[in-house]
Amino acid sequence: MRRLLLLAPLAAAALAVPGAAWAHATLQRTTPGVGARLPVAPRVVTLSFDQSVRTLPNGIRVYDTAGKLVSGVARGVPGDPRSVEVALRRLPKGAYTVRWSAISNDSHVGHGVFTFGVRVKAPALSQAYGASGPTASEHVVRWLYFICLALVTGGLGFRLLVLRGDATPAAERRFYRLTGAGVIGALEVGIVAFLLRAQDALQLPFTSFLYGDLSPFAHDTRFGEAFVAMELGFAFVAALLFLSWLTGRRSLLWPAFLLSLGLGSGLSLASHQADDRGWLPSFADWVHLSAATLWIGGLLSLGLVVAGDRALRRTAFWRFSEIAGPLVALVVAAGVYMTFERFPALDDLWTLGYGRLLLVKLGLVALALAWGAFHHVVIRPRLDRPAVANRLSRSLAGEAAVAVSILLLAAILVDSKPPAKPAPPRAATGIAPSNTVLQAPIRP
Amino acid sequence: MQPPAEHVHWLFATGILFLGLLLLAEAVVGREVWRRRRWRAYLWPALLFGLGVLMWPVMVLFTNSTVHMLAHSAWAQVMMLAGAAELGLVSGRLRHEAWRLCVPLMLAVSGAAFLIHEANPWLYSRSAFVHHLCGWILLVGAIFPLGAAFKPRSWVFAGGYALVMVAVSIALFTSRDVAPVFGHLDPAAGVQHR
Repeated sequence: MRRLLLLAPLAAAALAVPGAAWAHATLQRTTPGVGARLPVAPRVVTLSFDQSVRTLPNGIRVYDTAGKLVSGVARGVPGDPRSVEVALRRLPKGAYTVRWSAISNDSHVGHGVFTFGVRVKAPALSQAYGASGPTASEHVVRWLYFICLALVTGGLGFRLLVLRGDATPAAERRFYRLTGAGVIGALEVGIVAFLLRAQDALQLPFTSFLYGDLSPFAHDTRFGEAFVAMELGFAFVAALLFLSWLTGRRSLLWPAFLLSLGLGSGLSLASHQADDRGWLPSFADWVHLSAATLWIGGLLSLGLVVAGDRALRRTAFWRFSEIAGPLVALVVAAGVYMTFERFPALDDLWTLGYGRLLLVKLGLVALALAWGAFHHVVIRPRLDRPAVANRLSRSLAGEAAVAVSILLLAAILVDSKPPAKPAPPRAATGIAPSNTVLQAPIRP
Repeated sequence: MQPPAEHVHWLFATGILFLGLLLLAEAVVGREVWRRRRWRAYLWPALLFGLGVLMWPVMVLFTNSTVHMLAHSAWAQVMMLAGAAELGLVSGRLRHEAWRLCVPLMLAVSGAAFLIHEANPWLYSRSAFVHHLCGWILLVGAIFPLGAAFKPRSWVFAGGYALVMVAVSIALFTSRDVAPVFGHLDPAAGVQHR
């Protein structure tokens, strides 16, 4: 207790100090604009801030896709203390990355990155020069996100479509706990996923990253737009879920369920399937994801929500096995379509790392399907036997564990780069196709 | 798409002012009288929960630094948590008295987030001053709902909590994006626009 009392003034002092120590400038405008596609090569890059800034000679660095520096020495703009600029060499057609650092008058440094294109589309920030690819922690975070999505969407679907009006008070309590944990997890993990992806592009040490400008990433990338929509959506789902719990109105769960189903499209629109291939691949991706979250979330709910009540579990098992079949059919159909869409050649499946990972995932899906079929054909008719009913929980836990492993592989696949489609013949104008993939070397 | 920060401050100042006035009314007339109409018990917790939901758009729109984003996210979450806990207690869905600690937790976390996310010193500009002021009011003011959690009938704690919210709302109403405070505006802050 005495230690705590001693620490209290120190903590108060620590809170007072940042005000004096962390002053920084915020970028307000850039020329060229963030993500701009310019018809003519610019001669300078100008950054305007909300307060006076200085820059070091290498404070603004502009790189082409090969990592060649195409900018000169950064300097202040005469007559405008809040702006800095750098002159550029004559830029040929191509994509460019601007990395900047600026010092506010009180000696504190802000950082950022953005891209632009000269007569080509600007690359996504995740493909800026110097950006790194997804790390193992990002795979884990995306996996957790998928699990949260399954808990929310699958949990709500289970409550509305499987349990319907038959939930006991204990099952109701467990449902709200499980789905509540899922929606809170979706909000928190969503923030972590966004910050990790932004850090890939910014490539800053932690303390500098705290003051890194995330706006270009949040508002000018598909991933950022999906993050914005999904955070807002899940906050609303959380509010609806809470109000349903508070008032006991099950009808409030319907909008929460439909909204969480729709929010899955955010992930689809930010995925490889949305790379200039029309709406059908994105739609297939959404169907695949939605059916999978309903199936896996339903399995988890079957094991956790109705675990203590044998009669309710029997009813829920019967009803769930009736909707699990169509869900699995949707997962498989959409998955097969996306595989054909994604792999230009069949041997990509075993010659490329991405293909081999997909084969492992397909193997696990086959195992889960066999397990589900065993439940449907063998267990379901024998549910009244006490010995079978006693072992059901363990069997369900096994199937759910396989399903959660599938989500891990799905997370790694989503973060990985699928094989590139053969490039269409060049247009007569010589303008590069809009789905050109920029292979930027990784240099931290 | 992104509104000026001062507009967001004023929007939340309005909500927090209503919150403070409701709390003040309850403190003045006493909890028993205030709750003779059952719906009145739900008013301020529902408003607090709603303000938490409204903070999420602010979180995703103001991403000019990681620390700003995290601060707005912390406010959104603790306001929703505190509002939800109070609504649960009022409705009888929650019974454990420990849930009353969510409100002091909200004030302490909000105050710390104000102080940590403000990058500039007190007299740098008016908005910096307001952030520091709100941070310390909330951090110190957490004592009142903390006391009220243990002595729910104390008018001192109830009134103190209400006045903390009113004081924060007044401070937020004075916020301007670039404006002097006590005649002082740091040259690095930019040109006064109002």
